[in-house]
Amino acid sequence: MPPVTRRTTIRTAAVLPAVLSAAAPAAVLANPAVQPASPDRAAEALADRPLFGANTWTLSNGLRVVHVESRRVPVVAHYLFYGAGGGEDPPGRSGVAHFLEHMMFKGSRNVAPGMLSLAVAREGGQDNAFTSRDVTAYFQNVEASRLPLVMRLESDRFAAPLIPADTLEPERDVILEERRLRTDSSPRARFWETFEAALWGPQHWHGRPIIGWEPEIRAISRENLLDFYRDRYAPANAVLVVAGDAREADVRRLADEFYAPVLARPYRPRERGGAAPAAPAEARVTKRDGAVREASFMRAAVAPSLTWGDVRHAWALEVVAHVLGGGQGSRLHKALVETGLATGAGCSFDAEAAGASTFTLSATLRPGVAPERMEAALDEAVARLLQDGPTEEERARSVRQMTAGALLALDGFGTATRMLGGALSIGVPIETVEFWPRRLREVTSAEMAAAARAVLGGAPSTTGWLLPEQPA
Amino acid sequence: MSGSRGFSLPIRVVEAGGLSAWLVEDHAVPVVSVSWSWQGGAALDPGGQEGAAVMAAALLTEGAGPLPATAFADALRDQAIGLSFSADRDGFEGGFRALLPALPEAVRLASLAMAEPRLDEEAVARVRARAVAAARRTLETPRGQAGRAFWAEAYPDHPAGRPAGGTAESVAALPVDAIRAALGRQVRREGLLVAASGAITEGELAALLPRLFAALPAGAPPAAQPLPAFRRFGQRVLPVEAPQSSVVFGQAGLAASDPDWEAAQVMLRVLAGGGFASRLMQVVREQKGLAYGIGATLDVLFRQAVIVGSVATENARVAETLAVTREEWARMAAEGPTAEEMADAVAYLTGSLPLQFTDSRRVADALLTLRQNDRPPEWLAGRPARLAALSRERVATVGRRLLAPAELSVVVAGQPVGL
Repeated sequence: MPPVTRRTTIRTAAVLPAVLSAAAPAAVLANPAVQPASPDRAAEALADRPLFGANTWTLSNGLRVVHVESRRVPVVAHYLFYGAGGGEDPPGRSGVAHFLEHMMFKGSRNVAPGMLSLAVAREGGQDNAFTSRDVTAYFQNVEASRLPLVMRLESDRFAAPLIPADTLEPERDVILEERRLRTDSSPRARFWETFEAALWGPQHWHGRPIIGWEPEIRAISRENLLDFYRDRYAPANAVLVVAGDAREADVRRLADEFYAPVLARPYRPRERGGAAPAAPAEARVTKRDGAVREASFMRAAVAPSLTWGDVRHAWALEVVAHVLGGGQGSRLHKALVETGLATGAGCSFDAEAAGASTFTLSATLRPGVAPERMEAALDEAVARLLQDGPTEEERARSVRQMTAGALLALDGFGTATRMLGGALSIGVPIETVEFWPRRLREVTSAEMAAAARAVLGGAPSTTGWLLPEQPA
Repeated sequence: MSGSRGFSLPIRVVEAGGLSAWLVEDHAVPVVSVSWSWQGGAALDPGGQEGAAVMAAALLTEGAGPLPATAFADALRDQAIGLSFSADRDGFEGGFRALLPALPEAVRLASLAMAEPRLDEEAVARVRARAVAAARRTLETPRGQAGRAFWAEAYPDHPAGRPAGGTAESVAALPVDAIRAALGRQVRREGLLVAASGAITEGELAALLPRLFAALPAGAPPAAQPLPAFRRFGQRVLPVEAPQSSVVFGQAGLAASDPDWEAAQVMLRVLAGGGFASRLMQVVREQKGLAYGIGATLDVLFRQAVIVGSVATENARVAETLAVTREEWARMAAEGPTAEEMADAVAYLTGSLPLQFTDSRRVADALLTLRQNDRPPEWLAGRPARLAALSRERVATVGRRLLAPAELSVVVAGQPVGL
């Protein structure tokens, strides 16, 4: 399951009819009608109040706790985030963070292997976990009265997972099948892996696949997993998020009962602050693949994030991505899709990342069009943006469309936990999530032009084409 | 312990202008979701025009009335209105979610989209190119190929056997008139099912319904060709160059109206349900490490469920995976679930009920699904009691009645060894 970030929330809210999940804060429940006269004013009113109204505190062992109350439906989401993901895999052992995520389901001091999931299911709950480049997170969604149960189960593996040696090999087989399923069976996923390695280098923390290179998955030892747990899964490197039908006093009491007794210990912080590569490992990758039927273009450039490089550029780049590639009406859509050169074109940028991020442009070639022709049109669109910058009208439209749906994050379940836990786990303060529309509105078109020039006009980048074996 | 303590979903039926809508009113968040559907969808596409309904649905949000495509998109996005239409094998759906201040505009745009779609040449060309690309991309993976072949084999003489979105060839050749005709057949004032959820009262919804649908032509969509019985086809292998085979397996299920519907849900939850709890997941993943996941569910089309499952495994281990799956299929048919498995499955299905209704869109969509399966409004409230009353014998009996390894039809896309 992909992690929900503020950016994906923006996109789903504004563009896609996807189901969002979130929880409503007590403030909205107490005063349900946020109904100013115009949507613009609704958005401005929102900027002055926190989106979720989260409570936060820290336990004596260093574990940070976030609580968001919503009594809308008698359910609660319980998430434990660790500030370590695939980016923290040791050299030559990509896939350790993800392998450990699997092994965390193999029992702990008081819970037999596999029993956590079965116990949660027996209570009508859902449980799962995910590993991203920045975080590893474990979660359960349950009916509200089952919160103590899932806190007891999760805190037990937080304190003392078994990682039993005899389950290692069957689980390695499962992970290799997962890799075949997600990556090896899909020509696009295979290409994306090659492409990221081309930009950052195949052993750079950003250039390695989160699931791991196959030979490295095969080489991971139990020691590697135990080391990762010891170094990264300490209370002070974790964030507990509880959102839903639970009162703060109860969450405080339960966190004290189950999580506070876990002993504090030092942890190894992530090392993402260093300089990005001065040049891409490979500036251009062209791959022909017999399974591919539609040619695809991709270009990614190293970009600042909210935790690395020029943070003001990071905010501006979010708006640049919308102006350039935010669907219908965007510059790439006009230059490539409406002209019949591409069937689709877009940009993606995630400012919420630990360390350097990437700004990505992508397009699917219309059959019969020469790739060079489409790429030239794209280059021209980018060059024009770098030369003249965005217009004031474009900035206003993009900011309006990106922020109009901010409140939709309250209509659901799980969005609050993922947005807040994801941000805190990478060192982004909670206020950034609570007040993000205000930050976007502060971006000026001059800042956008400067950020676009810094990233698309000079940062290391890789350009890639994935082509069918025979020209379409 | 099996209760969804205190959970209830008060469904009210709102009537206005010849239409009825189910409503769950909830003012916790200032948002409203409305979903609606007609029977038909891709099943109404004439032979040779496969993909017409799906493309027509996509074109409804590509310009309407005085608003060309980009102006229409801006009108939606300026107020974060999520309006969309879709067609699948047996139906055509529309729906929106909007914050309260944007609700009037959402209704206006949804109505305009259905009543006055523009089908501008530029938009048709763009959407067509996208649809052709999507049809081709589906076949890039073993999973896409296996799914396509499974339905084609199961329903060779019915539209359910065709890809709903059409083929690259059919979509490329589709005349605009065929798209216009698809809309004319489908988007009518009658035959509509409507569901709503969120910060809206019964009176407000009653006033909204005519504004949404009154401009549509009278009459209902034509009936689709009745669905024939699922054709058992044995085992098919599609050679696809890949390190892993993708397997789709299935067999005839039962009607949504079958009195044993919930018994079958419990039985399938034990055999092949989601998560780690099922027998298939335990043996295939946990004990043997054969696959990342395996599962099977009741896939409903034309109010008739087919039991469909999938798994993906290394080419060398496909035969073993299939053998194990067939063994479990036979064991459930012969023995049924244990008392403990029964209790766990019932506890899960009951306890997870509130998790299906956590946002306005999920509520509206869930209500719509209930209506599509002809459930009465009180069906949901009675579900925990009905599940609790199921006997082990009844669940075992439905397993015996439905499941047979000899009935399993299988498509394998990949380079399986030893099949």
